[in-house]
Amino acid sequence: MQTLVFWLLFLTFVGAFAAQVARRVQLIGAAPNTFSTDTFSFRARRFLLDVIFQLRTIKERPVAGVAHAFVFWGFVAFGGYTLTEFLRGLGIVDQTHSGWFNAYRTVLAPFAVAVLGGILYLLIRRAFVRPVGLGTKVSLESIVIALFIATLMITFLLTFRLEEGTMAERANWWLHMIVILAFMALIPASKHFHLVVSPITVFLKSPELGNLPNLDFEKEQVGLETVKDLGSKSVLDAFTCVECGRCQVNCPAWGAGKELNPKTIILQTQEALLTGERERKLGELYSEKVLWQCTTCGACENQCPVGIEHLPILIGSRRGLVSNGDAPEYLGAMYNNLERRSNIWGLGYDQRAKFVQAAGLETFDAAKHDVLVWLGCAGSFDADFQKSLRSLFAILRAKDVKFGVLAKERCNGDPAKRTGNEYMFQELANGNIEELKAAGAKKILTSCPHCVKTIGNDYRKFGYEVEILHTSVFVEQLLRRDGARIDSGPAAAGASPDGGTRETVTFHDPCYLGRYAGNVDEPRALLTRFGADIKEPERNRENPYCCGAGGGLLFADKEEEPGSRISDVRFKQLQATGANTVVTACPFCSIMLKGAQASAGADTQFVDLMTFVKDRL
Amino acid sequence: MILVIAEQRNGKLNRATWETIVGAQQLADATGLPIRVLVPGVNTGGVAAEIAAARVQEVLTLESPALEPYTPDGFTAALQQAVTELDASYVLLPHTYQTRDFAPKLAARMDRALITDVTGIKAGSEPAFVRPMFQGKLTADVVPQGPTPHVITFQIGAYRVDQVAKGTSAASMRALAAQVDAAGIREKPEAPFQQAKQAVDLSQAERIVSVGRGIKEQSNIAIAQQLAEALGAEIAASRPICDAGWLPMERQVGSSGQTVAPKLYLALGISGAIQHLVGMKGANTIVAINKDPDAPIFEIADYGIVGDLFEIVPAIISALKG
Repeated sequence: MQTLVFWLLFLTFVGAFAAQVARRVQLIGAAPNTFSTDTFSFRARRFLLDVIFQLRTIKERPVAGVAHAFVFWGFVAFGGYTLTEFLRGLGIVDQTHSGWFNAYRTVLAPFAVAVLGGILYLLIRRAFVRPVGLGTKVSLESIVIALFIATLMITFLLTFRLEEGTMAERANWWLHMIVILAFMALIPASKHFHLVVSPITVFLKSPELGNLPNLDFEKEQVGLETVKDLGSKSVLDAFTCVECGRCQVNCPAWGAGKELNPKTIILQTQEALLTGERERKLGELYSEKVLWQCTTCGACENQCPVGIEHLPILIGSRRGLVSNGDAPEYLGAMYNNLERRSNIWGLGYDQRAKFVQAAGLETFDAAKHDVLVWLGCAGSFDADFQKSLRSLFAILRAKDVKFGVLAKERCNGDPAKRTGNEYMFQELANGNIEELKAAGAKKILTSCPHCVKTIGNDYRKFGYEVEILHTSVFVEQLLRRDGARIDSGPAAAGASPDGGTRETVTFHDPCYLGRYAGNVDEPRALLTRFGADIKEPERNRENPYCCGAGGGLLFADKEEEPGSRISDVRFKQLQATGANTVVTACPFCSIMLKGAQASAGADTQFVDLMTFVKDRL
Repeated sequence: MILVIAEQRNGKLNRATWETIVGAQQLADATGLPIRVLVPGVNTGGVAAEIAAARVQEVLTLESPALEPYTPDGFTAALQQAVTELDASYVLLPHTYQTRDFAPKLAARMDRALITDVTGIKAGSEPAFVRPMFQGKLTADVVPQGPTPHVITFQIGAYRVDQVAKGTSAASMRALAAQVDAAGIREKPEAPFQQAKQAVDLSQAERIVSVGRGIKEQSNIAIAQQLAEALGAEIAASRPICDAGWLPMERQVGSSGQTVAPKLYLALGISGAIQHLVGMKGANTIVAINKDPDAPIFEIADYGIVGDLFEIVPAIISALKG
């Protein structure tokens, strides 16, 4: 009789679970396929670190992360127990009296205590502490799920106390099994579905941050216009979201009081998919205004513990808007500049030629030069940034590095790519690739992190592979090899290697250097090598706070940006370190932060990393 | 005969028509052909009388209720008749948005050549029309071939209104009636869209006094304002000034503000960051005042004064007033 009742309950709840899952699988299947499993070893390694060891979950929020890890490991450990009890309940096989099961149960006991501790901590945090990232209202369903998990652990632990065959023992068993079944029926429609899909999503997440495959114009691809255009990975992402809000609290636009909230984007996607709004325009679903607030800093995607990729949705939607002529006005002017003059400023290339001549630069010749220095839009035209490049040239000459520049450069296309003007990006990229190939460059140096990402990653999608390094990386390698002015370690604290006082500076990691390229140690090594005492700002290294220039926002005026300027927020964070010197390593960070400094009327000094090094070499 | 098609709206002449008349007068000098001006629309008498002051042979009005409001179908039908009837050799129009809308249709309807956006005329046995190509990188001298009339549109600003030759007495005027079948007009125009007018249009300013962070405090903007008044200039600023709210956002010059091209641009305490420079590099004469001799603004300034703007600006003001 009990077996029959259990079978009925089992079929009902598992059926409810399966139906809901089938719905989601169907939606994923209906989307254009964007799944990829390339670079398997990278994916396997990330799976191990982020899923099995829960590192991404723990890293940003250590206490909650460890509590979560306890619950996760407990769930995994309980797999065999749950299966065995189900087989017994369904009358298939009863292994519960075997020796191994008893030993297994004993091993599970500490896990149960850890899960119970973990889930109670998370429950209190969610219901009473209520961090902002979790949303403004307490999710009832999360509370129920947390109580379910607690009940499961308590009922498990009670089995050690209750006599087999007693009324209490049976009630305890039934409670345990019914909670599991109810749990199953509840999860697909809730954020707890992540415990089924997130391992898959993490595995399928692109190894490249902000991966945006080229649009194929031959196939009339124009970017994402409506909900049905979202790729299968984006649809999977929408069902994976665990609503932890890491994307939200790390988003510089959200942090500066703008409307963009990456978590909202994912949840809006989820809702639109489930309500069948396939034809809904994305510019309407997310709001065009919101889509243009993204600096493409990549914080959302990089901090997400469950493998969601926000940038393909945000930039993909921008592509759809640009294809329909719906870019904001300030971008229209920039696109004109790119189209007519192949640079974002709209200046004539005679000015680059003048700088090349004045700085005594040679045209790159593969037979003569070790490296090609890529000047970029800033290096070609911005007198301020050219000071930094002159410092670089002085360092290279001092270290006898033979270098040259291209006779002609176009913008690498980053501002076009990140704002969704794919056609213009491909034109610029193809032109540059042709010239780089013709020049026979094997190794490229640039002081612009956006050029590193675009030439290094995006040009690869045209089949062009080249080694491109940010100058901080190259110069650090160069000086390390030389053993120039090596810091003597902790003993030197408070004094520079030559005995003088250490100089207090703070370093602003550019998003495209720290987060995208992962070059966080090289700039710091250079600074300490030359006697700097680095005061780290909040949000640094692989998770810096954006300067506000990326994604075309360099060209937006303040009215087009509600809330504070991102650059003002970041400048305050840098000021708060107490260091009066800010070292930058990206021309666009430098422009934005100097603007913020001028607006604030502060006397903070800015120095570019290369100039810092040159002055002390 | 050279036929100029005037453009008017609600009885107000578009000034670009005067520029086209200057072009027509130059073409008349080169070819010896007389000039007639045709004013299409309704209630065009006032505009025609205004134009009659110019040295032209005749001013014609072309009236029909079907020409108001403007539609490309209505204009093409009416103008095709008039041009054919008058047997013009050249049809000249200002290169306005309205012209861009119907002139290609008119030329195609008549199967005649259309040369657009002309900036000048080269005299010769056959006059050549100069027009930019490849976004202004080259100019081409175009000589129209084939049967007349040739349809030519002139770039706005190609000729100066003050160079129009006036006649000794008013030109004669004549009314033509246009036969337009209202049923043949497919467009149903909406009321003209009026974009919210920006309170300040710095792009039209002849002189600009622009302030940067070197002004130090909001209260100091007053001295820049005094200088602007003395010069009859508009006041503008770089981004930090507008971000700080010291001047309204609409006065911001640069890549995230307005692009300006005044005759005189006076930069006070502006360092000349690239995003500012790209907004004002088109100025004829740039005068920069800055404490820092290494400021990038001096790279593009025609005149640079290294010094304290709080000493220099009052001196300029008193010199202007004295």
